[in-house]
Amino acid sequence: MTGQEREFTSTGVPAWKSPIALSVVLHLLIAGIAAAGWSWSSSVQEPPPSSISARLITQQKPEPSPIVEPVDQPDREQEQKELEKQKQAKAQERKKEEARKAEEQEKREEAKRKADEQARKREQAKIEEREAQKTREAEAARQKAEAEVKERERRKAEADAQKQRQQEAKRKAEEEKQRQEEQRKREEAARKKKEEQARQEAEKKRLEAERRLQEQQLQAQAEKADKARADEALRKKQAAAARARESQMLSESQKYQALIRERLSQAWYPPSSATEDMTARLQITLLPTGELAGVKLVASSGNTAFDNSALSAVKSLSRYPVPSERDTFETYFRQFTIEFNPRRLR
Amino acid sequence: MNHKISFRPSRALFAAVALMLFTASSVQAELLIRVTEGADSAIPVSVVPFAENGSMPAGDKVSSIVQADLAMSGEFRPLAPEKMLSLPSARADVYFRDWRLLGQRYVLVGELTRNGDRVQARYELFDVNREERILGETAAAPASNMRSLAHHISDKVYEAITGVQGAFSTKLAYVTLEITNGKRRYRLQVSDIDGKRASVRLESKEPILSPAWSPDGTKLAYVSFETDKPVIFVHELSSGKRIKLADFPGLNSAPAWSPDGQSLLMTLSKDGNAEIYQMNVQSRKVTKLTNHWAIDTEAAWDSSGEGIFFTSDRSGGPQIYYMSKPGAEPRRITFGSRYNARPRPDSQGNYVYYVHQRERAFNIARTKLDNGEETVLTRTESDESPSVSPNGRMLIYATKSNGESVLTVISADGGAAYSLPASEGDVRDPAWGPIVR
Repeated sequence: MTGQEREFTSTGVPAWKSPIALSVVLHLLIAGIAAAGWSWSSSVQEPPPSSISARLITQQKPEPSPIVEPVDQPDREQEQKELEKQKQAKAQERKKEEARKAEEQEKREEAKRKADEQARKREQAKIEEREAQKTREAEAARQKAEAEVKERERRKAEADAQKQRQQEAKRKAEEEKQRQEEQRKREEAARKKKEEQARQEAEKKRLEAERRLQEQQLQAQAEKADKARADEALRKKQAAAARARESQMLSESQKYQALIRERLSQAWYPPSSATEDMTARLQITLLPTGELAGVKLVASSGNTAFDNSALSAVKSLSRYPVPSERDTFETYFRQFTIEFNPRRLR
Repeated sequence: MNHKISFRPSRALFAAVALMLFTASSVQAELLIRVTEGADSAIPVSVVPFAENGSMPAGDKVSSIVQADLAMSGEFRPLAPEKMLSLPSARADVYFRDWRLLGQRYVLVGELTRNGDRVQARYELFDVNREERILGETAAAPASNMRSLAHHISDKVYEAITGVQGAFSTKLAYVTLEITNGKRRYRLQVSDIDGKRASVRLESKEPILSPAWSPDGTKLAYVSFETDKPVIFVHELSSGKRIKLADFPGLNSAPAWSPDGQSLLMTLSKDGNAEIYQMNVQSRKVTKLTNHWAIDTEAAWDSSGEGIFFTSDRSGGPQIYYMSKPGAEPRRITFGSRYNARPRPDSQGNYVYYVHQRERAFNIARTKLDNGEETVLTRTESDESPSVSPNGRMLIYATKSNGESVLTVISADGGAAYSLPASEGDVRDPAWGPIVR
């Protein structure tokens, strides 16, 4: 069944159009779409890092001012000590004064510094407040923007998701369609295969039936032949038996037929007007003694001389050679026909 | 003696079976014996010497002439009178049993009665086996013409038995050559077919060739060299009158009468090459029938009087050709050997006879016209000039015997031969005359 196989594979569709190739292409396509969608949504979906604003604030905090401390001076010798004491007292006084004044000064300065400091601090606070305000506002704006972005992103994501879902749905629908198509094709192929199988099965059955019929016929023929052979054998056996009974008669008959033919051939003088297409037929009646009891021209040659030559030949035999056995004589020689026809003229 | 035996064993077997079943033979189961071969020998026939009333002329007896005629045909084997048990001359005296015992098939009896200068014959032919008279007739002839009476009876007997018209009353023409003291004597002679009653019609020191009978048997045409060249003459037999028919320059030869006797075919070379012409006897007008660079000669009309056989060496050697009508395209008839010449068709349209060379020997052969089958008829060595009897049953030709040329008659199928007595020298160019009513 090579012919059928060939027919089966060569459906007239190029290899790239075959269902398998088609599904491979479709899968690749879907995988590609999926990969593209993934990469795209991951870049969009990444949330902004919330630590950025906090870092910005800690970086702008002012450094604490450095603390300045006074340094102590030791007394000189005794005389000097008095003087020194006085001086020292005075110096001490003055020193004290000075210290006091310095202290005052320092205190003033300190106060002023403190006030400055405080002013600065206030200013700083103000600034900071502004800054903070600003930052807050910025933060709010940022947050708002961020929220908006987020919202947009969310919406977009939603849209994307929606789109993706749709695409997915579409893809799935297509896949489903494809699947169904493939299913249909498979079913079709299966159906066809089934049909083909059924057909082949039917063909096989038919051939089988034919074969069987043929076998039956052959069988029948063989049986018939056997029977025929058997019949033939039986018939032959019977015939053989019959022949066995008749053989004597027949061989006797043949012998005497040959003798008669010989005698007639010698006695027959075909006339010179004879032609090879002339035939005269004579019916002979004999007596058991071999004497001619009667002769009758049953079919003339159309030529009187020819007919006469035949009649003359038949009548020329004074005594026909006939079997002495009565049965054989009665069967063959009581009455018979002689045909005169010159096959070969002199 | 080869007796081929044929019969039908199946029929015999059938007959045996039929007997087995019915123990009686039916007509259909009847035995059939087929005889397809006749006796190879000639028909045994007894010509009983005729009784004679009154004085008969001297010479051969009528019955002897009849007996010789029948024997000469090759188809009959007459019983010698001395072997006959009785000599009946009428039916009352014929004992069929006796004749059957002698193996005879036919018995001819008769008596002759002298009536002045005429003799009357009464004769009867009997079929011995059928014990029937198949011929009974009286005929008369002048006492001087007993041979004609005898040949007439031969013809009647022959026809009664064979169904074919006899040709014993026909004539032969031939040329003899006698050389005495170095002198050549050519003689044109006419005789009975047994060679008897020969008469010289022309004598010449120069060759005489190719005598040809007119269809009515009254004239002969021949070629005579008496004027030192071949000239065709026509010779009226009853009067001896001769006319010079064709004396053209060159060759004038091989005359052959048309069946109506109005014209002759002849070979003339007046135009340079030997061609066949037809000449009207009355007007002497000639028509050229062949036109070929080869030699065309020895023409003869076929039995229908429409076609012409002739000899031509256009194929390289002499062969027999046939024109279905004068001037038609010739068709070659003979192929058996490289020499076939002098065609002589029979009057029945069955065969053409001719001289046929086989190795060194020249024989007479015939070809069956419907199938081209060729049979060589003679076994001698220098056979020539075949001429077939008008009934197509006998053939005469010239051959050599002891260095001399003699005429021989055979049955046309090549059977028994009968040599004509040739008393004087060579005999050649026999021409068998027509049956004249």
